[in-house]
Amino acid sequence: MNAQSKQTQPSYNLNCRMAFEPAALERLCQVVRIRGFRIANMAVDSVGEHLDINLILEGSRPIAMLQSQLEKLHTVVEVALAEAPLVRSRVG
Amino acid sequence: MNGAQHILDAFHRHSIDTVFGYPGGCIMPLYDALVDDVVVEHVLCRHEQGCALAADGYARASGKTGVCIATSGPGATNLITGVANAHRDSIPMLVITGQVPSGLIGTDAFQETDVLGMTLGIVKHSYLVTDADEIPDVMEEAIQLANSGRPGPVWIDVPKDVLLQQVTASADQTTRPSAAHCPDLTQAIQMLRDARRPLLYSGGGVSLAHCEQPFRRFATTSAMPAVVTLKGIGNAGKHNPDNLGMLGMHGSLAANRAVDECDLLLVVGARLDDRATGKLDEFAPNARMIHIDADSAELNKLRPADVCLRGPLDQILEGLTRAIESHPLAIDDWRKQCRQWRTTGGFSAADNEEPLSAITGPAFTRQLSRIAPDDAVIACDVGQHQMWVAQHYEFDHPRHHLTSGGLGTMGFGLPAAIGAQFANRNSTVINVTGDGSFMMNAQELATIRRYRLPLKIIVLDNQCLGMVRQQQELFYDNRESQIDLDDNPDFVAMARAFDIPALHIERTDQIRRGIETILAFDGPMLLHVAIAREENVWPIVKPGSGNREMIDESQQTTRKTREQVA
Repeated sequence: MNAQSKQTQPSYNLNCRMAFEPAALERLCQVVRIRGFRIANMAVDSVGEHLDINLILEGSRPIAMLQSQLEKLHTVVEVALAEAPLVRSRVG
Repeated sequence: MNGAQHILDAFHRHSIDTVFGYPGGCIMPLYDALVDDVVVEHVLCRHEQGCALAADGYARASGKTGVCIATSGPGATNLITGVANAHRDSIPMLVITGQVPSGLIGTDAFQETDVLGMTLGIVKHSYLVTDADEIPDVMEEAIQLANSGRPGPVWIDVPKDVLLQQVTASADQTTRPSAAHCPDLTQAIQMLRDARRPLLYSGGGVSLAHCEQPFRRFATTSAMPAVVTLKGIGNAGKHNPDNLGMLGMHGSLAANRAVDECDLLLVVGARLDDRATGKLDEFAPNARMIHIDADSAELNKLRPADVCLRGPLDQILEGLTRAIESHPLAIDDWRKQCRQWRTTGGFSAADNEEPLSAITGPAFTRQLSRIAPDDAVIACDVGQHQMWVAQHYEFDHPRHHLTSGGLGTMGFGLPAAIGAQFANRNSTVINVTGDGSFMMNAQELATIRRYRLPLKIIVLDNQCLGMVRQQQELFYDNRESQIDLDDNPDFVAMARAFDIPALHIERTDQIRRGIETILAFDGPMLLHVAIAREENVWPIVKPGSGNREMIDESQQTTRKTREQVA
C-alpha cells in the first residue's frame, strides 16, 4: 500500500476474563487474528485463577462477531466492550 | 491406577468401546494399559491421518464420540488434517496424544512438537495435562465438551511421565444440568403464517443434534418446500415430494430458483456457507429469515436474521410443528410451483441407456442409488464423484451420507468408511471415491484386510484431478496445470495385493452387474470404474458469483459452438 494512503479502522476497547491455563493468551490472540482484528495494545493481570486482559483492537469487521467467537472459548469467563468504538487513522 | 489406566476408565464410564490409533514412544503407557483392557477395541490403522478420519467416520455414522490416539511429534502432526476435518464439520471427537516427559518439554527432545500451540485453531478445546491427578476431571470435561452444544474435537496432550504417575483423585461425575430452554417462538410462528413462499433450508446441524425425527415431522407437517446443504442431504427424506435437493454451487436449478424466489427462509442447523449461498449479496434477495442454530456465533454472522432462535432443536421444532398442526400454512400455489421446478430443474436427465457407451459418473451414481439397500452408508471422498453422489444418490437419512463438507479433505472416504463399518458391523458401507482421493489414504486397504471388513470400494477413475481440470477448463481458459494422473497404478491389481478382490468395468451395460457383484460378495471388494476424462459436474456456479448465474451443460455447449463458429 502507498505510504501516503491512510486506512481508517474503527478501534475497540475490550475486556476479557479467562481461566489461567496453558496457552490461554495464545488461544485468545489467535481468535482475534483469524477473525480479522489487529491488537494495538494489550494489558494482562493475573487475578487468582483468572487472567484479566484488556485489548485495544482495530478492525473493520463487526466487533460483535469477534465478541461471540471469544465467548465460545471454553475458558473465557466474560467478554465486555468497554466503551463506544473510536475511529483511529493510521498510515497503511 | 496410573494416568493411562484412568483414561481407559473414562472410556468405560462413557461407553466408549472403539478407538482408532497408532502407537509410538510417548504414548506407550496407554498402549500398555490397553493390553489388559477387555472392553475397548483398539483399531490399528496404517497412518495417523487414517486414525483421525476413521474416528470421524465412526462418529458421523453412529452419533457417538469418535476417539483417536497417537504418539508425540509426527504422530500428533499426522492427526492434524483429520482433526481439522472434524472441527470444520462439528464432529464430536476425543484426541489423545502422548507428549515427551514433562522435564523435556521445551528442550527440542526427540519427537517433541508443540501440539497444544499448533492445534489451537482446529479444536473446540485442548488440554496439556501437567499432573496425573487432573486426568479424571479433564477426561470428564473433555467428553462432555466434545458432545455438548455445537460438537467438535477436544484434544488432550499427556506427557509420558504423567501417563505413568499414580492418580489419587477421582472424577467429578456431577452431571451439569442443561441451562438450555426453548426460546419464545411467537414471532417465528407469525412469520411462518404470514409467508406466502416459505422455504425450509437445513444443514448438518439437524443430525448433529440428533433431531432427525422432529425435523422430519416438521417438514411433513408444514409441507414447506425444502432445500438442503451438502451436510444436510437426507434430512428431508427421499420420498418427500417437496424436497428440492441440494442448493448452491453444484445444487439443483430447482433448489437455487426456490431460494431466489422465496419470501421467507427458515434456516435450521446451517451456517450459510459460501458454497451454499454463492455471492451473499444476491442470496435469497426477497426473503426474511429465521435462523435456528446451536451456536450463537453463527447467528447474524454472515447475514442478519429477522429472528434468531438458539436452544434445544427438538423443542423448537416440536413447538413449530404443534403451531402448524393447529393452523396449516396456506402455501399451495408455492408448493405447486416448486414441484414444477423439481420436475424440470432436477437431475433426472442423467440416465444413459446406450449399452455400449462409456460410463458417466451421474448415470453410475443413479444406478448405485437404485440397487444399494436403503440403509447403505456412502462415504465419499472429495471431487467430482462427491458432487455426483450429492446430486444423484437419493438418501433417506443424513447419517447415511458421510462427506467432508467444510474442509474438503481428499482421502477422507476410505478411512471414514472403515470407521462407519466399525460403527455397525452388519451395515452395507460403500466408499465412493475418485482416483486422486483414493491414493491419498490407500494404505488403509491393509486395515480393511486386517479386520476383514466387508466394505465396498468404488473408484470412479478419470485419470485426472477432475474437479480441478473442470475449473481450469471453465474459468482458466482451459489451461490445464498439474492435473494428469494417467500414470495411476492398476487399481485392480493393487486391491488384490491387499487380498481384496476387484473388478473392472467401463461400459454402461456393465454397471448393474458390477454393482450387484460387489454388493453380493461376502467380504471387501473393489469396483474400478473407468469414466471419461472430459466429463464435468453440471450445473456449476462460478466461485464468487450469485447462484442465479448457474452454468449448465447446454449453455456450455452453446458457448463452445459459438466460439467454434467465430
